[in-house]
Parts: sequence; C-alpha cells; structure tokens
Amino acid sequence: MNSSKTSDDELNAIQNINKIIHEPARLLLMAHLFVVESADFLFLQRQTGLTWGNISSHLRKLENAGYVAVEKEFIDKKPHTTLKLTDKGRKAFKEYRKSMKQVFEDLPE
Amino acid sequence: MNQKINLKEIERKAYTSYHQDGVIDITIAFVIFIFSVIMLGDIYWLGSIGGISGFLSLLLYAGAKKFLTVPRIGYVKFPQQRAQRITAVAVALGVLSFVAGTVALIQTMAQGTPDWLVLLIENYMLTIGTAVAALFMLAGYAFKTKRIYAYALMTLVMFVAGHFIYFPLYYYLTALGSVILACGLFLMIRFVRKYPKVTETVDA
Repeated sequence: MNSSKTSDDELNAIQNINKIIHEPARLLLMAHLFVVESADFLFLQRQTGLTWGNISSHLRKLENAGYVAVEKEFIDKKPHTTLKLTDKGRKAFKEYRKSMKQVFEDLPE
Repeated sequence: MNQKINLKEIERKAYTSYHQDGVIDITIAFVIFIFSVIMLGDIYWLGSIGGISGFLSLLLYAGAKKFLTVPRIGYVKFPQQRAQRITAVAVALGVLSFVAGTVALIQTMAQGTPDWLVLLIENYMLTIGTAVAALFMLAGYAFKTKRIYAYALMTLVMFVAGHFIYFPLYYYLTALGSVILACGLFLMIRFVRKYPKVTETVDA
C-alpha cells in the first residue's frame, strides 16, 4: 500500500513537469534568459548555438505561454527585438528546476 | 545541485564572452598611455584635468562596445547587481581618494608634510605600483575578469623592480600599457574572427 502510494507520487511528479520548458531547446533559451535581465536574438544565438528559425519558433511558444516578453524598438533606425523572462516565466523556471531536482533525487541509485 | 552549477556556468559564459573582446584592456592601456604621455612631455597641467582622460576612456569603451561588440555578439543586459557592484567600487574608490587627499592636505597645511606622506613620496614606485595594482584588483572583481588580476600582479612586480632599478616612471607605464594593449589587441582580433558581424535582423 505504502509502496504503491510512493510510486503514484513519483508518477505525479514526472507528469507535473512543465512540458513547455522541458523541450531541450526551450530549456536552453529559458536558462539563458534566466541568468540575464534581457537579451536579443543574436546574443541567444551566439550563446546557445541554435539557428534563427529554431530560436524564433521556440520563443514564440514561450511567448504564447506567457514566459517570455518580446519588446520591439528601433535603435539607430533599425528594428531591434529584446527578449526577457516574465515574472510568470521566472516562477515557472524555478518550479521546473525544483520538480526536476525532486524527480532525480527520488530515483534509486 | 548539478542544475545550479550549470546555471552558474551559463551566467559565467554569458558574462565572460561579453568581455572577451579586448575592449576593457585597450581602454586601460589608453588611460595608462595618457599618464605616460603627461609625464614624458612634462605636461602636468593635463594631469590637473585628469578627468578628461576618464571621460575619453569612457567614450572609447562605450563606443567600442556599441560598434564592435554588440553587432557581433548581440545585446544583453545583465542583472542590476553587477552594475551596482561596479558603482559601489567606483564610489568607494572616489571616497577613499577624497578622504586620503583631504587628510594629507589638512595635515600638510597644519604641521608641514606629514611623515607618512614623505614615506609614500620617497617610495613613490611602491606607492604608485600598489595603488595601480589595487585598482586592477577592484576592476577584476567588478568585471569578474581573471586576466585583470594578472595585470595587477604584473604591475606590482614591475613597480617593485622599478623601486630598485631606476628608470623614469613613464618607462614603466609605457611598458605596462604596451603589454596590456598587446593583450587587448590579441583578444580583439580573436573576438572579431570568432564572431563575424551579423547583418541579418530577425523579428520574433
């Protein structure tokens, strides 16, 4: 009975992992945006090694989830897009870290 | 725990890649050369407006970052804690210099040049070397850049040697500036090769 409850808890923990963040490319983008205040496409591309298209499509998903805020402005008459994690995104990322840590800590050696 | 380490590594990589362009080294070398020229040309009146060299170096730094670094590596804004740390270091330095200067002035006016000031002036190579090395240490701490600590060590070694082997001060300053400039140029060339300028603009 006890063992069954534990395995249910473990399953719940795994099922509760945020699937939007869990995708490797999005996780990489979230992690990079988590450690800075804001950055642009080029910086994320240089740091992650992802392509423009990849970054664009994953950021759209993160933006739709409300995790990333996209700010567009003109610098020297050129369009410039700045990206930053929203409060919701920061909270979700912290929770994701916590739940992943919990999942792996609960796994047997 | 592993994740914590990785995030720190990501942050470290993001920050150091932004300062691997050699701009800070070239700016430091520029300031050292200005002081060297002031001493070489005996144009000490320039020293009294030393703020100009600080202003010019800020212009050089900001301009190089804008036209060289950002078009190649992208725009990033780091958390405010870093900027606050740099500001705190700058303010602490300013206050320390002001207090030391004021104390020296008051003591000199009241009872002639105090012994401690005479000692510092007599051993000016050690005094300047220690002061410049301390500045480098603070800059290394503020910018989290290890090579600036190496510059501090190099400065200390060079100026301690200069205490025993006499050459005019500007020789040492020029040598120090040249080494730092060479490092900066090496880093800049490597940076420009590693990160070619991107003309493509993308909107999300």
